[in-house]
Amino acid sequence: MIPRGVRYALSGISWPVYALLYTPLALVAYYSFSPAPNQTGHSLYAYGQLMHDAAVFTALRRSLILALGSAATSTALGTLLGYGLCRFRARNATGVLANIPSLIIYTPIIMPSLVFGISELIFFNFVHSATGFLGAGLQTMIIAHITFQVPYVALTVYARLAGLDPYLFDAAQDLYADGIKSFLYLIIPVVQPAIIGGFLLGITLSIDDFTISFFTAGPGSVTLPIYIYSAIARKGITPEVNAIGTLMIGTIVVLALVHFFITRHRERAGQFAARGNIA
Amino acid sequence: MSAAVKTEQEIESGRQRLRLWVTSGPGLVWIMLFLLLPSAVLLGIAFFSADDYGSPVLPLSVQPFQQVAGYSLLGWDPGNIIIVLRSLEQAGIATLVSALLSYPLVFFILSRPASIRPLLLLFIVLPSWTNQVVRTYAWMELLGPAAPVSWVAHILHAVPPDLGLAPGRFAVTTGLAYNYLPYMIVPLYASAEKLDWTLVEAGRDLYAAGLRLFWHTVFPQTLPGLLSGIIFVAIPAFGDYVVPQLLGGDKALMIGSLIANQFTETPDWPYGAALTIIMLVFTGLGLVGFRVLTRKLGGAEEATI
Amino acid sequence: MMSATSAQADSGPAISAKRGAISIRGITRIFAGSVAAVDHVDLEINAGEFFTLLGPSGCGKTTLLRMIAGFETPDKGRILISGKEMQDVPAHKRAVNTVFQSYALFPHLNVQDNIGFGLRMRGMKPADRKKRVDSIMELLQIGQFATRSAAQLSGGQRQRVALARALVNEPDVVLLDEPLSALDAKLRAELQIELLRMQKRLGMTFIFVTHDQHEALVMSDRIGVMSRGKLEQVGPVLDVYEKPRNVFVAEFLGLSNIWPITPTGEHSARAPIGEISITAPLSGDGMAMIRPEKIWIYNDSAAPKDRPNLFFGTVREAIYMGASTQYRIELAGGQSVLAIDTNNQAAERSWRPGEPVAVELKPENIMLVSP
Repeated sequence: MIPRGVRYALSGISWPVYALLYTPLALVAYYSFSPAPNQTGHSLYAYGQLMHDAAVFTALRRSLILALGSAATSTALGTLLGYGLCRFRARNATGVLANIPSLIIYTPIIMPSLVFGISELIFFNFVHSATGFLGAGLQTMIIAHITFQVPYVALTVYARLAGLDPYLFDAAQDLYADGIKSFLYLIIPVVQPAIIGGFLLGITLSIDDFTISFFTAGPGSVTLPIYIYSAIARKGITPEVNAIGTLMIGTIVVLALVHFFITRHRERAGQFAARGNIA
Repeated sequence: MSAAVKTEQEIESGRQRLRLWVTSGPGLVWIMLFLLLPSAVLLGIAFFSADDYGSPVLPLSVQPFQQVAGYSLLGWDPGNIIIVLRSLEQAGIATLVSALLSYPLVFFILSRPASIRPLLLLFIVLPSWTNQVVRTYAWMELLGPAAPVSWVAHILHAVPPDLGLAPGRFAVTTGLAYNYLPYMIVPLYASAEKLDWTLVEAGRDLYAAGLRLFWHTVFPQTLPGLLSGIIFVAIPAFGDYVVPQLLGGDKALMIGSLIANQFTETPDWPYGAALTIIMLVFTGLGLVGFRVLTRKLGGAEEATI
Repeated sequence: MMSATSAQADSGPAISAKRGAISIRGITRIFAGSVAAVDHVDLEINAGEFFTLLGPSGCGKTTLLRMIAGFETPDKGRILISGKEMQDVPAHKRAVNTVFQSYALFPHLNVQDNIGFGLRMRGMKPADRKKRVDSIMELLQIGQFATRSAAQLSGGQRQRVALARALVNEPDVVLLDEPLSALDAKLRAELQIELLRMQKRLGMTFIFVTHDQHEALVMSDRIGVMSRGKLEQVGPVLDVYEKPRNVFVAEFLGLSNIWPITPTGEHSARAPIGEISITAPLSGDGMAMIRPEKIWIYNDSAAPKDRPNLFFGTVREAIYMGASTQYRIELAGGQSVLAIDTNNQAAERSWRPGEPVAVELKPENIMLVSP
């Protein structure tokens, strides 16, 4: 397929790029083991400092609430959305009207996050001054995060459903399952991997985001990324910042690898092993 | 047929529509309420005047757009145009770098056994799952004045002593390419995976080997993936906020920071909204151009809902 | 539009309330903006019979089947199953189970859970369910696959699981939508026999949809031939084959020679091949049909010259098909006749292209069909 010489060249370019992808992250980890002031060598000093920093823990708690809360809600909304569009949209519908749902779904994906964030900032500002509800804080951040996650979950679920034999739905009906039973006993189990994938994707997107969080946050809703950003703005990159960064990178890497190997294992297992008993 | 009697089919399609709204409705309404409506408000603000605090007030005005074009009480200033051009240039270079790196990486992955390809792909995507701020400040450290990379730059007289490669335009471009490289690789990989190698073999007779062979056989087949990748990199890179903010400094200011300033440090909402319209116009032009190109090339459209 | 009351008042055979009997009255289904997929079909299917809907693809047979199952709603007309009006009964409440062309086995369930799905949805206790599922798996000889997933089965095994999944519910009616079309010829023949055996043993009504005339002939008690949304002819296999009502049925089911005729007497007519005698009484212009296997072929010297409908010609094509040989014989007037001769020992001989022969079309074997 690919000539041997070209293969060597490809390896020669690619391995350094892989290395380059992880160099900055590794550097963050390296700096996080900086010694205490006026000392040399490596130490866990920065991590020790973190342990006593209540602000960091509060920010971490808020980040987790934000990620889990928004991902759970967007998984519910997105699953229904992907399911509905796949199952109930008229097959032969054409024209502008039929494309509106797709346009709506793709908007959050394609809109630059800065415009996204600022739109929300202004909107929540107006709503708050008009009604007193939705003051900037964790609630507005959760709403914004749900908004950008829903399309990704919907697309994941939609792709899974669209890949299925359409007669499966008829078969469930044929076998005495009404709409709700079909949803519970056919759709949910069959789409389950996509739902879990969508939920994890939602969490990842939430953790990754800074821009939208930044513009929808209020004074009392500093999350980890915002905490880091303002810490850098105030006093530059400190060992503490590096320690937080290292922990965040480490968590993501571990979660990604665990998820990767679990799904791979399950896929392989599904091909050979039997499932549980009929009862 | 009397008007009062509905056919079974009409009743059935009515039921279908109800089911569609019960399931898809909440999600669609959510996006409309919390994104489409807010962005419509934002765009509307661009046509208002600003009060002393930068908030929008009546009367309607075109002044925000004059400001965007560079006109102010002090006369005309090319600053904004320079920033837009610089944003285009920096996003463009980042896109080009990503595209050039993506080809060898994609075919490197494809040259490996099928069982380890997903893992190799995962390791490309993984850094982009860490937080934007973390992965960007990591580059501040890597390119900062104290880092070995900057010493090398000093020796080569690329930067003045005591300054690092960050902040600066090199750092911004690097940061953007680093951030968005996976968005180029994933669609390119998807189209390269489906590559018809028999065409390449057939081309071997016609075009000898090397770059000519690549250009005439591989490139056309992977073009749809490349075009998607360009869209996925260029659009967010053009409007990026975090990277120019942390790695840029004054000389590498991009339109994202300019817009953000109008809503944070020195508020002027109508002006900021007008700048946003400019950004969206460029985004829209890019998307339309992409669609036209894909259609012209007869390439497969991306999977759409 | 015909109102519901007048549709119900229409005449027709008495509605059978027997378990598994189906009455279809004036059923019409029009897909948005196109011609009727099913156009005023009336059909009675007897309890416990193996009924086949035969027709080319797109003739509406699958749509008719889907309306019986409840997946499609008719625009007009009524369907009664076991004497009960199905108008307001959704698919999941009908005592009807379907075997799908793609099998539609649930990918998240193993074989026994697939088979037990219907019983589970109806709320049967796990212990009873297991008994029923085990016995049907034994009947269909798929017990050894009980815990495999559908993806691990071969085509024939999947087909059996799909059949078991329908049969285990003991429905009044089993609908089969081209269930064998994805299988190779040998497996297909095996499963045809197996399906028949099951149907006879369990006594359920089977409605089988196929475009394969051979399959229809082999399996059915009665068949209904469909074309462009209309039921062209319904009857026992033998009747439909031997006495097709019109040209479409004659041509779709088996091979045939068909000519337009103009009567010249009560039992004679002029056809493109010449003057022919016909046993059936004639009344006006029409079409005459004869099956190729009902045509006798002779060496032209040995032909019984005293008999009616004897034509001379030359063999143009001889296609050897194992048990028989199919000939195309060009008559003196330039018309072609299709004839099939069995290759048994008693057969005088076989003919080669270019040989002069005589063909005899016995008057009683010529059928009149409408255009």
